[in-house]
Amino acid sequence: MTVATTTPQTNAAPPAAAARDWGGSSYPSQIWVLTGRSMQALKDKRMLIMSVVQPLIMLTLFSQVFKGMAFAPGFPQGVDYIDYLMPAILVTTGSQSAMWAGAGLATDLKNGALARFRTLPISMYSLLTARSVFDAVRNTIQLSLLLVGAVVLFGFNPAGGVFGTLAALLLALIVGWGLSWLFMALGTWVRNLEVMQMIGMVAVFPLMFASNAFAPVESMPGWLQAIASVNPLSYAIDGSRSLALGDLDAGPILWALLISGIIASGGALAAGRGIRKP
Amino acid sequence: MTDLMIDAADVSKAFGDVKALDGVSLQVPKGTVTGLLGHNGAGKTTLVNLLTTVLPLDAGGATVAGHDVTTDGHEVRSRIGLTGQFASVDEQLTGLHNLVLIARLLGASRRQAADRASELLELFDLAAAADRKVDTYSGGMKRRLDLAASLVGHPDVVFLDEPTTGLDPTSRLGLWEIVEKLVDDGTTVLLTTQYLEEADRLADSITVLSNGQVVAAGTAAELKADIGQRTVAITLAEAAAAPEALAALRRAGFSPIHDEGRRAMTIPVDAANALAAVVRALDDANAEVAELALHEPTLDDVYLTLTHQAAA
Ligand SMILES: Nc1ncnc2c1ncn2[C@@H]1O[C@H](COP(=O)(O)OP(=O)(O)OP(=O)(O)O)[C@@H](O)[C@H]1O
Ligand SMILES: [Mg+2]
Repeated sequence: MTVATTTPQTNAAPPAAAARDWGGSSYPSQIWVLTGRSMQALKDKRMLIMSVVQPLIMLTLFSQVFKGMAFAPGFPQGVDYIDYLMPAILVTTGSQSAMWAGAGLATDLKNGALARFRTLPISMYSLLTARSVFDAVRNTIQLSLLLVGAVVLFGFNPAGGVFGTLAALLLALIVGWGLSWLFMALGTWVRNLEVMQMIGMVAVFPLMFASNAFAPVESMPGWLQAIASVNPLSYAIDGSRSLALGDLDAGPILWALLISGIIASGGALAAGRGIRKP
Repeated sequence: MTDLMIDAADVSKAFGDVKALDGVSLQVPKGTVTGLLGHNGAGKTTLVNLLTTVLPLDAGGATVAGHDVTTDGHEVRSRIGLTGQFASVDEQLTGLHNLVLIARLLGASRRQAADRASELLELFDLAAAADRKVDTYSGGMKRRLDLAASLVGHPDVVFLDEPTTGLDPTSRLGLWEIVEKLVDDGTTVLLTTQYLEEADRLADSITVLSNGQVVAAGTAAELKADIGQRTVAITLAEAAAAPEALAALRRAGFSPIHDEGRRAMTIPVDAANALAAVVRALDDANAEVAELALHEPTLDDVYLTLTHQAAA
């Protein structure tokens, strides 16, 4: 913006080309462009690396600390503890990572990026969908790296084979994706990155331990059993485990999918309303 | 077909108990600039937010570019650009990427988006910083990027909420020229500002808000004539002559303002011919005048008078 210049070419607004001449953008292209925007965050590899290192540390600790669980009541016969643990780690890691969709949205709302989108002729649902698509992509990368780490470092080799393992991964991704809508809804109300991270910790950690993630429900005290057996995470973990261990059990898988669907729809409705609040 | 690009009638908006806007009407013809003035909390930003569909209105109605803000928000949004009071750019992206993103969301092809983005970066003197992340920009650079962002889609109506706050004088002048150019090309502008000089220079018409209501509207000249006060500023040769001069002025029907012991005094006057009466009164008092000047009212006077009245 130079003052004294008299460049007559600087055509601030040729009247012939108003925005409507570009014709606006379709929902798919809005989602595409906005997902591309979020993908910028992947350029910073540190986050991704940390997000894989953290569950690997958990895997190391738990596989040593809870090794004795293999002799606990209800533990499947002849199964290595790592093969039992890893499907659960996929689910819990996917669920924890879902928090990042909400954190990203909260940051957008706080720092003004969203204020700009609000003035554009685009759907707020495109924005939310783009976040959840990005989150799913990031989650896929994270969980795949984690899986490779578990195979290489811990000799993860479940009876379900490659297909069972990939199916377990897919279920973990779907569960995480459903939760990401819930966290986005929270993000639109909380609008603060730090608070979102706290909520992520406070909400997911108890659910994680009060589940069948690390030990069979049968080995727990009665009150914990009660919580663990209604904990939706337990269904997801049961499902994921049954796929990985090649011991297919449709019940928990269907429950996990149903609950994820309900959480996703409820979260989407709440997020759609929350994001419109100024 | 009317050529009103903004037509708000009796618009109200409350936040809990706070009546941010209380029956505000505003009309802005195509290709003109309207300046929105008012004290902090007067409701300027709220009005801009209602007209740009960022907030829903409680009562009344408004159209922007011929479309109803309540029922046809999408169409309104495709015809407007908004630079809000607080920067709304993505700090994690580069300046270029910010503009390209907006163009793409407005339906431009990659090529069109890139062209438009570099055109605007050039216009706002940001070309050198185009590939830097916005979180490394200075405050004024962010502001300029924000302004560029609101122009990406060649909007018919541009809303600028305190656009030059935080800009250095050079950038401020540059922005004024850009706004003038936009208006020459037929764009309509609604501008809120705390700089009365800015309103005086840019605005074809001015609306003054106070506590959520319109307290005055008109051209700058009209407001000055109606509300502003001409003053005669006098500096006497000697402070000792002041008491007698003041007495003579009071006898002539003036209410001079004077600080004891000073040589200078200010006399509010109404008509142009009052100057002669002032001189005559001073002559009667045998007061020797070192300096005499007639001051036309400024927008500052108008503003202070209006906001003072409203507060009282
Ligand atoms: N989201 C909100 N919640 C509650 N009150 C609000 C909200 N937004 C604005 N207000 C109130 O509405 C009134 C008008 O605010 P507004 O931001 O429109 O003023 P303004 O004229 O833009 O002021 P400034 O010159 O400081 O920018 C103020 O009293 C403000 O406190
Ligand atoms: Mg304001």
